[in-house]
Amino acid sequence: MSATATAAPVVGQSRADESAPVRLAVKDVNFYYGDFRGLKNINLDFRDRQVTALIGPSGCGKSTLLRTFNRIYSLYPEQRADGQILLDGRNILDPAIDLNELRARVGMVFQKPTPFPMSIYDNIAFGIRLYERLPKAELDDRVEEALRKGALWDEVKDKLRQSGMGLSGGQQQRLCIARTVAQRPEVILLDEPTSALDPISTGRIEELIEQLRSEFTIAIVTHNMQQAARISQFTAFMYLGELIEFGPTNRLFMNPAKRQTQDYITGRFG
Amino acid sequence: MVALSENVALASRPAAARRTPGGLADRAFRTAAYASALLVLLVLAGILAAIAYGGWPAFQTFGPGFLTSSAWNVGREEYGALVAVIGTLVSAFLALLIGVPVSLGIAIYLTQLCPGWARRPVAMTIELLAAVPSIIYGMWGLFVFAPLFARFVQIPVSNLVEGLPVVGTLLYAQVPSGVGVLTAGIILAIMIVPFVASITRDMLDQIPTVLRESAYGIGCTTWEVVRHVLIPQASVSIIGAIMLGLGRALGETMAVTFVIGNANRLSASIFDPGSTIASRIANEFNEADGMQLNALMALGCILFVVTFVVLIIARLLVRRARVA
Amino acid sequence: MDAPTPSAPAPQAAVPAVPASPAPQAYPAQQALPAQQVLPAQQAWGRVRAGRRTADRLLILLCTAATFLGALVLGSILLMLIIEGLRGLSPALFTEVTPGPGSEGGGIANAILGSLVMTLIGIVVATPVGVLAGTYLAEYGRTSGLANLIRFLNDILLSAPSILIGLFVYTLMVRPMGGYSGWAGGVALAIIATPVIVRTTEDMLRLVPGALREAGAALGAPASIVIRQVTWRAAQSGIVTGILLALARIAGETAPLLFTALNNNSWFSPNLMGGVANLPVMIYQFALSPYENWRQLAWAGALLITATILGLSITARFFLRGVKAR
Repeated sequence: MSATATAAPVVGQSRADESAPVRLAVKDVNFYYGDFRGLKNINLDFRDRQVTALIGPSGCGKSTLLRTFNRIYSLYPEQRADGQILLDGRNILDPAIDLNELRARVGMVFQKPTPFPMSIYDNIAFGIRLYERLPKAELDDRVEEALRKGALWDEVKDKLRQSGMGLSGGQQQRLCIARTVAQRPEVILLDEPTSALDPISTGRIEELIEQLRSEFTIAIVTHNMQQAARISQFTAFMYLGELIEFGPTNRLFMNPAKRQTQDYITGRFG
Repeated sequence: MVALSENVALASRPAAARRTPGGLADRAFRTAAYASALLVLLVLAGILAAIAYGGWPAFQTFGPGFLTSSAWNVGREEYGALVAVIGTLVSAFLALLIGVPVSLGIAIYLTQLCPGWARRPVAMTIELLAAVPSIIYGMWGLFVFAPLFARFVQIPVSNLVEGLPVVGTLLYAQVPSGVGVLTAGIILAIMIVPFVASITRDMLDQIPTVLRESAYGIGCTTWEVVRHVLIPQASVSIIGAIMLGLGRALGETMAVTFVIGNANRLSASIFDPGSTIASRIANEFNEADGMQLNALMALGCILFVVTFVVLIIARLLVRRARVA
Repeated sequence: MDAPTPSAPAPQAAVPAVPASPAPQAYPAQQALPAQQVLPAQQAWGRVRAGRRTADRLLILLCTAATFLGALVLGSILLMLIIEGLRGLSPALFTEVTPGPGSEGGGIANAILGSLVMTLIGIVVATPVGVLAGTYLAEYGRTSGLANLIRFLNDILLSAPSILIGLFVYTLMVRPMGGYSGWAGGVALAIIATPVIVRTTEDMLRLVPGALREAGAALGAPASIVIRQVTWRAAQSGIVTGILLALARIAGETAPLLFTALNNNSWFSPNLMGGVANLPVMIYQFALSPYENWRQLAWAGALLITATILGLSITARFFLRGVKAR
């Protein structure tokens, strides 16, 4: 639970921009773990420079859906997806898509902080170097820019050569966000990014997400409804592998159209 | 009142009526377990003491010169460890040079590339390589590998490098029979591969999935994930595993005895026969007595010190690697 | 496939201003928001450098090749043993003793029996010591300084060169007793088997949940009874696995037997004094001999011993899998 979690969700820090163009369009997506169908006919749009939260009880498929957007699931041969997911109009479920490049375009931050076993500087520079060959000075600038965007620069600027593993949990998670931002992705996926963090670190990450929204399309999976209400413009409620309801966050929380949504956000199940 | 009196009755029941079951047996069992554990300590100390005791006369007679002398003359009672020590180090080094990349490759294949259904049988195949007795490796090395090696490697390479500087001596076989220091190194490499590969595989398996996913998540290829994230993350244990392999390579006896050629001279070529500490002990011990026996024990002492230093480092690095 | 120019525009700059379209009022579930303008990709696809792809393919190729090589060696060893060993298999192998130099025919009955006897001595000595020592480490010593030291040294003994153990037993037994003996061979094998049993016993006992011990102790049973009747029983198949692994380990050991039991081309005496024939040393001596029938016997012995050891290892592994699955 986050620091500011209270009984009633605080909704709508910023209004949903329903006219924003679509960055990522999910069309009739099904997902299978072996024989088990984990997602059923999902249709959903993610709008540019908006935060879209995926909420629902454990096992509802929200993380599964997120993991289709960079096809990280394809590390596991028994998992597969069908349907279409259009990133800027291009179907990323197409087998011909270069997965490495897709993942550079669709960045992901995980539940637990995952600094790589290298220095803070290299943690950021590693991802940039994969795709761009920059002169040293420019690379330095990019690292600084990313760390600033990750709200970490002031804390680490004097120890860039130290290992990233030496940072606190919250700092590590911001390092991971900075690492993702450094690649200048089009979409950033956040998979319960604060669930392993203390309330203060959680608050900082939430502020950070709000700032990043000015540049990136963001999809966040969260367990925490208050968090979804605080930071997202759109919310999708999922249950048992299906998308139950989707809409601007304030409408979904204030005036849910479906009974299941209402039950969930008022805490009657889940 | 009734309840109260009952309480009194309970309290006054003599405590002596209860006795701990098997108090003596309990202590005896504990002592037996303790003694058995101490025995392990004792055996290791005993090995060192016995070998040092046996080798002492040789160390006393030859002094530090024992380490630097390449003499090994039974008739004149002159002994030095240099040839065997160099043979041991060179063959073990070659074994690592060849074996480590192959081990890492197998570990990476098993953890990252192998399709799920094939993992168990493939892992089993590699682990069975560790179960094959050393003497069988020796026979395979001598009867299967050495002829092939002579025909397809030693002879062509010798012809190619003849007369060239450095490689002309390093890779020239005077008698291309297939046996020699390099052959021993290759057989040793095969023998350490299953150990290094299984430990490395276990270490790679222990790396949290999420770290691997997040490396793929920034667009790394499998090579980049392995090279920049997984291997550095497990580096300490991998070095430990390699040291463990080195410990095995240094002390391996039978396989080496079959394929190293057991020559008693120093040669600059790794195609030429040589000998290791272990192969020399295996070859000569049964016919030796007097100073030769002491010299062989002294060789054993050197082997003890070297392997144990390597193994201690290895065990400190790989805390509690698997048993099999 | 080149990297984009260093001055790639920041993402926001690349997003064109989009004319607003009328905002819909309500969205039925399971329906996307009304379709709107699709954004162009910010950067062209195809940014993965060719070098990166090549490195990746090379990794896959080399790792697969390494694994294939390992399998190839095992296959080649087995094939060699089967081709050469099957020719030597005959009833005489199991009934006749090893022939003297230059004589015809012969079998390896004495070597088989000698190996069985010494392996048995080794395991009979090593099992109680190993199980008790493992029990001490897991149940009594745990994390005490002494237990840590013993655990560490046991791990070292586990991979100590076996030839050194041969030298040790030579000094300890062969010299004082005035000659080679099956007893010395058995003790050398026991020293090799013990660390394997210690290690597996400890590991398996540690897998037994603490609650089981507590439940035993809560009945008032003293530690030794809890260990013998509860913990050991729970870890039974794991401990048996350790013993099987130790058997597989010592059955093919040659180096330590060279200086302890040596070999003998006749039946060994019942008190096991003097050289005792055994498969590994027989194989070593016969394989390198000039006599055709000796080499034949060596191959047959090699096939027998390898088949036994691989069988033992496979059995142990299946046992172990059962333990871990529980």
